[in-house]
Amino acid sequence: MSRIAIVGVGHSKFGKRNDASLRELAFEAYRGALDDAELESSAIDGSVVCSATHYDKQRSPAGVVSEYLGLSPKPTFNVEAACASSAVGLRIAWSLISSRLHDVIAVVGVQKMTELSSGEIQELMGRAGDVMWESPFGTSMPAYYAMYANAHMAKYGTTEEDMALVTVKNRKYGAKNPQAMFQKPVTVEEVLKSRPVSKPLKLFDCCANADGAACLLVTSSEKAKKITDKPVWVAGLGLASSPMSLAGRQGPLSSFEVTKNAAKSAYEMARIKPNDVDVAEVHDSFSITEILNYEDLGFARPGKGTKLLKTNETELGGRVPVNIDGGLISKGHPVGATGASQITSLVHQLRKEAGDLQVDGAKIGLAQNIGGIGMYSAVSILRA
Amino acid sequence: MFLGFEKFGRFGYVSQTKIAPLVSYLEKNQIMATRCKECGTLSFPPRADCPKCRASYFAWVPIEGKGKLVTYTEVYFAPPAFQDSTPYLLGLAELDGGMRVFAPISNEVDHKALKPGLELVLRPKHAGEGVFYQFESQ
Repeated sequence: MSRIAIVGVGHSKFGKRNDASLRELAFEAYRGALDDAELESSAIDGSVVCSATHYDKQRSPAGVVSEYLGLSPKPTFNVEAACASSAVGLRIAWSLISSRLHDVIAVVGVQKMTELSSGEIQELMGRAGDVMWESPFGTSMPAYYAMYANAHMAKYGTTEEDMALVTVKNRKYGAKNPQAMFQKPVTVEEVLKSRPVSKPLKLFDCCANADGAACLLVTSSEKAKKITDKPVWVAGLGLASSPMSLAGRQGPLSSFEVTKNAAKSAYEMARIKPNDVDVAEVHDSFSITEILNYEDLGFARPGKGTKLLKTNETELGGRVPVNIDGGLISKGHPVGATGASQITSLVHQLRKEAGDLQVDGAKIGLAQNIGGIGMYSAVSILRA
Repeated sequence: MFLGFEKFGRFGYVSQTKIAPLVSYLEKNQIMATRCKECGTLSFPPRADCPKCRASYFAWVPIEGKGKLVTYTEVYFAPPAFQDSTPYLLGLAELDGGMRVFAPISNEVDHKALKPGLELVLRPKHAGEGVFYQFESQ
């Protein structure tokens, strides 16, 4: 199997970016990635633009993003897998390079959400589930995750305090990430007192809509060795799907089968076990999601995810630090950019560039990115 | 052709489907599933196309609608079309026979009794222009 590397990463500031348009956000991340790799735009021979395009005012944004980055007439197209768009973009880039159709691909994850009104966003979120059989009852993105939370609470005795620990941990690290939307720590009490969104989830259990972009430059091993002395290797990629309708899913809904399936593929491809992971980025769209992910990725046994939080095992210095860039809960969630943002953080860790937040001896990183209400899950394993 | 399925739910998004007669049955207070005429597979919500044998010939058959709650939530922050109804309950239940159904739970169900395993029954519900089904106490 050919080896594929990430040779450059770039990341815009995430948040309410009312100073920048979609194409300008994409440019910030792309320029950052080129500078990081010390490459000129002429070295890039195609772009994969990843966004959940229903949030964009611009239809088919790959066209305008590719133009603004100066990449026309090189191939470009959009990849959409809801919140997992740019993790899937990495998978596409891997295939384009492995097949030798392309040499160096720019995966550009980008989303401009805050120029939509709250009502428009809520209307779109309301159609995140099965539009024929579930949306007509008033579903919302948090409602689905709240249903998983209630199932986990009933089966394992998980509490709202346990879930609050995720937010407290991630906001603590977010305070140290200058790219994050929220850079202020919160307490368990503040999380518990925040207003209900969809019970048992409260405002501070939820990530926020945001604007932002992140970019990955992906290439072959031969090219990578010429470009950089610190390539980060794509060791394993797993992607799976699940029924979109909740009614189509089996079991007690206290875990995401889709993540277990994606993780199995990624671990097999990388030939590693969950215990081998040194640092991880997991999809904390909601506090409960991070707990489920610990279990679905095999970091903890089913029902034991909260124990990792209570024993500080997912803190910096713990067995497997998770979301020490602040996670979605601190960074905000510009849907199309999130997967590439997670991978950008891992690349910095594996290149030993994470400063105060560096995980000692980090050699293997894992990013896990859920799409929508759990229709898609992508697991990416990187090696130094 | 305009088929009228947009009446399904508190706020319908889809208007055209092969299984639109579900709405007419609900208006007559009947909850109907589809049964494949080729292999007999029962589908609820109804399906025009059999997931097992791929045949597209089906008959409408009534279902009893008794089942047990799998999980639920109470929605406070809702899409615009539903904001007047907040807070409201949504649930997933497994019907006797194994089919799973996603539906609102009646506000009259004792909120403190809500937990996986609670016995519920699916009943037709009329609300304004809309018609659908919801879980109620057995």
